[in-house]
Amino acid sequence: MKRGEKSIFKSRKRKERIASVITFIVVVFMAFLVVFPIYWIFRTSLMSNAEIYKYPPIFIPNKFRISNYVETLKVFEFWKYFKNTMTIIVPSVIGGTMTATLCGYAFARLRFRGKKFIFSLCVGSMLLPNMVTLIPLYIMWTNGLKIVDSYLPIILPYFTGGGAFSIFLIRQFIMTIPRELDEAATIDGAGKFRILTNIIIPAIKPAMIVVALLIFIGLWNDLLQQTVYINSKEKTTIAIGLTNFRGALKADWSKTMAATCMSFAPGVIFYIIGQKYFVEGIVMTGMKN
Amino acid sequence: MSRLVNKTKRRRSRMSIREERTAYLYLIPAFLGLTFITYLPLLGVFTISFFEWKGISSPKFVGFYNYVKLFTRDHFFKDSIIVTIYFSLLAVAGSMIYSLFIAMLLNRKIPARGFFRAIFYVPYVLPATAVYIGWSWLYETNFGLFNYLLTKVGLKRVQFIANSKLVVPSLALISVWLAGNLIVIFLAGLQNVPQIYHEAAEIDGANSWQRFRHITVPCMTPIIFYNLLMSLITNMQIVVPALSLTDGGPGNSSMFMTYLMYRYAFKSNQMGYACAISFIFFIIIAIFTGILFATSKAWIFYEGGD
Repeated sequence: MKRGEKSIFKSRKRKERIASVITFIVVVFMAFLVVFPIYWIFRTSLMSNAEIYKYPPIFIPNKFRISNYVETLKVFEFWKYFKNTMTIIVPSVIGGTMTATLCGYAFARLRFRGKKFIFSLCVGSMLLPNMVTLIPLYIMWTNGLKIVDSYLPIILPYFTGGGAFSIFLIRQFIMTIPRELDEAATIDGAGKFRILTNIIIPAIKPAMIVVALLIFIGLWNDLLQQTVYINSKEKTTIAIGLTNFRGALKADWSKTMAATCMSFAPGVIFYIIGQKYFVEGIVMTGMKN
Repeated sequence: MSRLVNKTKRRRSRMSIREERTAYLYLIPAFLGLTFITYLPLLGVFTISFFEWKGISSPKFVGFYNYVKLFTRDHFFKDSIIVTIYFSLLAVAGSMIYSLFIAMLLNRKIPARGFFRAIFYVPYVLPATAVYIGWSWLYETNFGLFNYLLTKVGLKRVQFIANSKLVVPSLALISVWLAGNLIVIFLAGLQNVPQIYHEAAEIDGANSWQRFRHITVPCMTPIIFYNLLMSLITNMQIVVPALSLTDGGPGNSSMFMTYLMYRYAFKSNQMGYACAISFIFFIIIAIFTGILFATSKAWIFYEGGD
């Protein structure tokens, strides 16, 4: 009896080990598939056009042509584009995170008339796609306020709470912080703003980082708004610059891929630096709802 | 005694007035946003859609003319609805299956799990424009990677982007590749599924498929719902590949609704007409999210709830 049990246990153990090995192999294979496109683009960016048209293709270039990047940079003014893109992203991220924190705090902690109604308006707007309101907003900025060829129409909307989703996220997070902390501070004579800066903000830093990241990623992926609002060459962003560069070169794949890799780089670098926050942050968006 | 109560009451109300004022002050950004960035523009889309407005000239009221024209004479429009929905279904279904599958693999005890999780997430941090341009090289007809692989297994070369039948599935595959954020959310959800359920089921003799079907999936339904909703809204709004790569072509085969709207509004200056498209786009998204919400009660399992 006892021996039989033991052997069942053993065979289960073995089955589990085999399953783990298979899982690991599948994971490695899938990870390889996911990374390979990026590798292929990168490898192309280091080869001459004659080399990339060879058949069968060369998997590892025998000479890294850094000169492709030097050549590309003569037309594709990456640093200017990067600076311009950051000119949009940095104020948006700061403004969005700050205002989202203020509004989220008000919804989570303060009592006021019309709270339920205003909050439901907020939640309702989360389901409204940005694309829908693009044209009236464009008319408002250009015809109404005469703001043309400017980053402001892209940046300023983030100063209204960074989007309903950001407010919602901050609110949800503040709700998990025990109220006793605020009450103790109130007894000590702290006002609402002091409570926010001294108690709430230190406690909700992870949520604020998430909001900052989501705003960053949203703008990082944007091309439409930039195309619509920006006309002049000096204000060109990475996304517009890359689209134009590709359009001008057509089949010069190695330079186009060099420009593509340069555009990949900041995202990858930010990711490596802030990996912990990227991953935990995205997890939080899914868990807090 | 009663005076004391009165006094505290009065002080309380003075405090609550101050609190209310603070709240409204903090909510100024949200008020501005809800008014000028969200709800007035939504009203604006609806209103402008009843006008003919060609940029310079003043708007002219035309009633339902824009809508009638869209549904009866505009072949771009009909194609754009089909293309957008077709793309979204492929991209959403693909992303959901792919990300749940990878998350389930990563949920097992494997070495270097954090490293692999990071790898699957990488595509998500790349800027969309660069992603589509990069992939257009992989899809290239004569020298692209995918066509090399096709010839390697004895198949004929195909045009991925320049073929009207393949362009949408090809772009949807890129969307699936980008779904690293869904994997991370699914993985976090899987780690919250109580291990006891699995152990209990295993003792009762449930095999791994039965455990997946009757334990993992029910516990995951709230997260599946969230990912489904986010993935749907993101993919319905797809515009970058058309803008940076295909111009809606070949033919109308990648004429996404958002891109068509962009073309009418900003290439041919038909603001009113483009707003009619925006509004119908809004209705279509509302229908899809409405269906999701309406059916959610039937299939979402809330732990502890009944």
